[in-house]
Amino acid sequence: MVAARGQRRRNPVAAWRHVDLLMVAATAGILAISLLMIYSSTRQRQIQAGLDPAFFVKRQALFLGLGLVGLLLVTLLDYETIRNAVPVLYGASLLVLLLVLTPLGTERRGTQAWFQLGPFQFEPSEIAKVALILTLAAYCAVRRGELDTVGLVTALGLAAAPLLLIYLQPDVGTGMVFVAVVMGVLLVGGASMRQIGLLTLLGLTAIVAVLQLGVLEDYQRDRLAAFLDPKEDVQRSAYNLNQSKIAIAAGGLGGRGLFQGTQTNLSFVPEQHTDFIFTAVGEELGFAGGATLLGLFGLVMWRTWRTAAEAKDDFGRLLCVGVLSMLVFQVFENVGMTMGITPIAGIPLPLMSYGGSATVATLLAVGLVLNVHMRRFG
Amino acid sequence: MSQEPSRLRMAVLGVVVLSLFATMLARLWFLQVLSGPSYRTEAQQNRVRIVVTEAPRGRILDRQGRVLVGNRVVSAVVVSREVIADKPEVLGRLSPLLGVSQPELERRMADERFSPFKPVPVADDVPKEKLIHIREHQAEFEGVEGIQLTQRFYPNGSTATHVLGYVGEINDKELEPRKADGYKAGDTIGKSGLELTYEEDLRGEPEIEKLEVDAEGRVLRSLGRQPAVQGNDVRLTIDLDVQKLAEESLVQGLESARDTYDPDQAKRFIAPAGSVVVLDPRDGAVLAMASFPWYDPTEFVNGIKESTFRQLNDPSGSYPLTNRAIQGLYAPASTFKLATSVAALEEGLINPTYTLDDTGIFRIGNETRRNAQGARFGPVNVSRALTVSSDVFFYDLGARFCPGDCRTGIQDTARALGLGTSTEMELPFEADGRVADAESRKRLHEASPEAFPEGEWFTGDNVNVAIGQGETVVTPVQLATAYATFANGGTVYSPHLGGAVQTTQGAEVRRVEPRALRRIDLAPSVRSPVLRGLEGVVTDPKGTAFGAFAGFPHDQFRVAAKTGTAQAPPKQDTALFAAFGPTEDPRYAISVVMEESGFGASSAAPVARRIFDGILGLPLTSVVTAPGGPD
Repeated sequence: MVAARGQRRRNPVAAWRHVDLLMVAATAGILAISLLMIYSSTRQRQIQAGLDPAFFVKRQALFLGLGLVGLLLVTLLDYETIRNAVPVLYGASLLVLLLVLTPLGTERRGTQAWFQLGPFQFEPSEIAKVALILTLAAYCAVRRGELDTVGLVTALGLAAAPLLLIYLQPDVGTGMVFVAVVMGVLLVGGASMRQIGLLTLLGLTAIVAVLQLGVLEDYQRDRLAAFLDPKEDVQRSAYNLNQSKIAIAAGGLGGRGLFQGTQTNLSFVPEQHTDFIFTAVGEELGFAGGATLLGLFGLVMWRTWRTAAEAKDDFGRLLCVGVLSMLVFQVFENVGMTMGITPIAGIPLPLMSYGGSATVATLLAVGLVLNVHMRRFG
Repeated sequence: MSQEPSRLRMAVLGVVVLSLFATMLARLWFLQVLSGPSYRTEAQQNRVRIVVTEAPRGRILDRQGRVLVGNRVVSAVVVSREVIADKPEVLGRLSPLLGVSQPELERRMADERFSPFKPVPVADDVPKEKLIHIREHQAEFEGVEGIQLTQRFYPNGSTATHVLGYVGEINDKELEPRKADGYKAGDTIGKSGLELTYEEDLRGEPEIEKLEVDAEGRVLRSLGRQPAVQGNDVRLTIDLDVQKLAEESLVQGLESARDTYDPDQAKRFIAPAGSVVVLDPRDGAVLAMASFPWYDPTEFVNGIKESTFRQLNDPSGSYPLTNRAIQGLYAPASTFKLATSVAALEEGLINPTYTLDDTGIFRIGNETRRNAQGARFGPVNVSRALTVSSDVFFYDLGARFCPGDCRTGIQDTARALGLGTSTEMELPFEADGRVADAESRKRLHEASPEAFPEGEWFTGDNVNVAIGQGETVVTPVQLATAYATFANGGTVYSPHLGGAVQTTQGAEVRRVEPRALRRIDLAPSVRSPVLRGLEGVVTDPKGTAFGAFAGFPHDQFRVAAKTGTAQAPPKQDTALFAAFGPTEDPRYAISVVMEESGFGASSAAPVARRIFDGILGLPLTSVVTAPGGPD
């Protein structure tokens, strides 16, 4: 064992023989579709305004480059090394989440969630998601899958700190992703069924409380109301949802053709290159394109799940479970909201939506999974 | 970590992930494949805006094709809302150029009648120099444009204005039933007269343009345009020459009456209003229909000013919007004796030779009625009674219908001739009028016991009916129709104004056929003595209108007529005159009614005389109150 470890250290290329090519291919496929659809959904509007039609796609390519470098760095290090840095990463994430609430952060549409860095924005909550996955995985791995009440409360406490800071922004969408990650990691990480049942009950109570106690901003309540009854007021909140559904449905089986979607070209869907990117896929590439994209996501999820199952240790397994929970929740919530089966929340579609922080964070998460996979034969 | 529960939980996680993906795929299939087509339509409607622009209306022509209502192309300034939203300062530059205040310009810009996808007209009739200035300084006037608009144009001013009617913006009440026909808020619609009657023909088909817009409503391009089709022209039976003649003569008659002293009220006649109708008895075609006072229809183009509209509805102005020819209700007075004569002869109550000694007095119960001005005509038969207008003779006839309960012979004949019943002509808002009898009395009494305290019908009432007084009221067009019916031998035609609907190029689309409402039997034994009496009115030296027709070429053109003077207390007398000619082959039937103008013989008859002169091409002189006996 010692020899083997020593050998691997001397020969860091060895792990690369076990890289999950399917995962890499599926991710690359999604990223390609992403660039295409970001271009398609911003091109016409940019032309109208007399601006560079490729402006957004160029920026996204830059983010991708940044994210891929991060991914590479993450896979180069053994995740055991990363594990040692977890306390630092967790502390750092709390610090930036705290800082963004100070005047250093920037407010947009009632949410204090960004740092303005020249022409770019940095959204710490996206990175904090990855930090939380690492933290929870590390903690539960230490507890060896046996969470007593103290362990459970500690795990929840670890999640609660960043969650609280995010609720202060407030960013309900990202908060929900945190909850999904906690639930996923605790499910596999050793919470008893009784604890999970209790947590679910608590979660439901919290949702009702959030709805009743006015924690939600007006626009958030409107979005929920629009989801519950989209015909109620097409002009206001339901406009997003209605236009989104029209765009997707108008695509039909084969789509209206790349750059041919009228809903997409004429900017009928608000936030189309970010949260509503799936509508561009739906309209222009149709069911064939939408199903392909979901298939690619499915592939990524399956590979992540496989990696979790095959991981050599609990930390690696729970890391993958955390990433899987994050991805599946975000994909379901995002794609679901564009089709009217989940409420509208400001959650980007992983690897697809335009935006630097989310892209980099998701690629880091994918890197972690690749890392675990590469080193599954510990 | 114990491997077993962990594996189980991994499986649970896997199942959750799988089911979520299955849900998404199922929803995607449902949306795109199962309900795709309906959403595709919605996406289509999303991006396409249809802008409808009204077509120019068809014209209204006289019987010879002369334009009565036409269209005029005017220059208008239109402003793009989109540009102004970005550059509101353009309005500030436009305001002094157009001489319209900026708040007013802003108000016009906000007018919701105009499609948000088309520039909004903010000024009409803009002089050419200003349009050129805008074009030369287009940089300062971004979003401002000069365009051509068509507007209603009246080359003959107020001529026949009541008949032609006017157009205006459609209101909610008019719009509701017409939505299915493609009308929309802000459209122009005929509001009165023939503009309303022939709305469907005149309107034409609007221009329909499909525009592609983006989510913010910016027009990107036109997807196609269906050009406007101008409405069809309507050619009338009105003869512009006869119409002008009638209007001119009526005004002169009223002016002349205003110079005449009314001994009853010890002041001059007010003569505020009047009406003339000229029909062709052969088919009911209206050759002229005049109503005074009139108004300027140009005031209604582009929407009438509120102050002007108030003024037009002010009682002191005698309601110029009213078409008195079809809406004015007047006691027919002696002109009604036509109906009484025909009824009495028809029923055999009298024969043509039956003679009554007119002592100037008629007694009924303990009441005494006299001829007007205390005249005594001595022995008169029906013809003579018509010529000299003996009231006593007709009082007696009225009473003769009333042994016991009064029979309604007079009333029935009057209605059959067209008096007191709708003529069913094509103009909107026609009044029905009334021929009084026991039944109408009862209805009036029941509806308003205070105004009509008596609910019973007495012989005295029938006596009143016989000379056209009491509760009987008719419209001028009914009076003309009754005389036209007698003239043509008994066919009651609904008076019609429309001759034909034709395309702008003059091709006939549809003829408006004359419409006979009914026939009334006029045996020669009935018609001849009455005709003789009516001819005497203008030819016999004792005839009531002999003076008015002095010097008329009776040998060339025989006229039959009847004068009437209706008491209308507290107002001054209404002057009436009904006539037709030439009697052997009648082509013209005329009614003249003048409010508060004195005797029919002296005020109304000269108006009709001048119209006959004009028709015959005789030299025209101004109407002056003629000497003539009262009636």
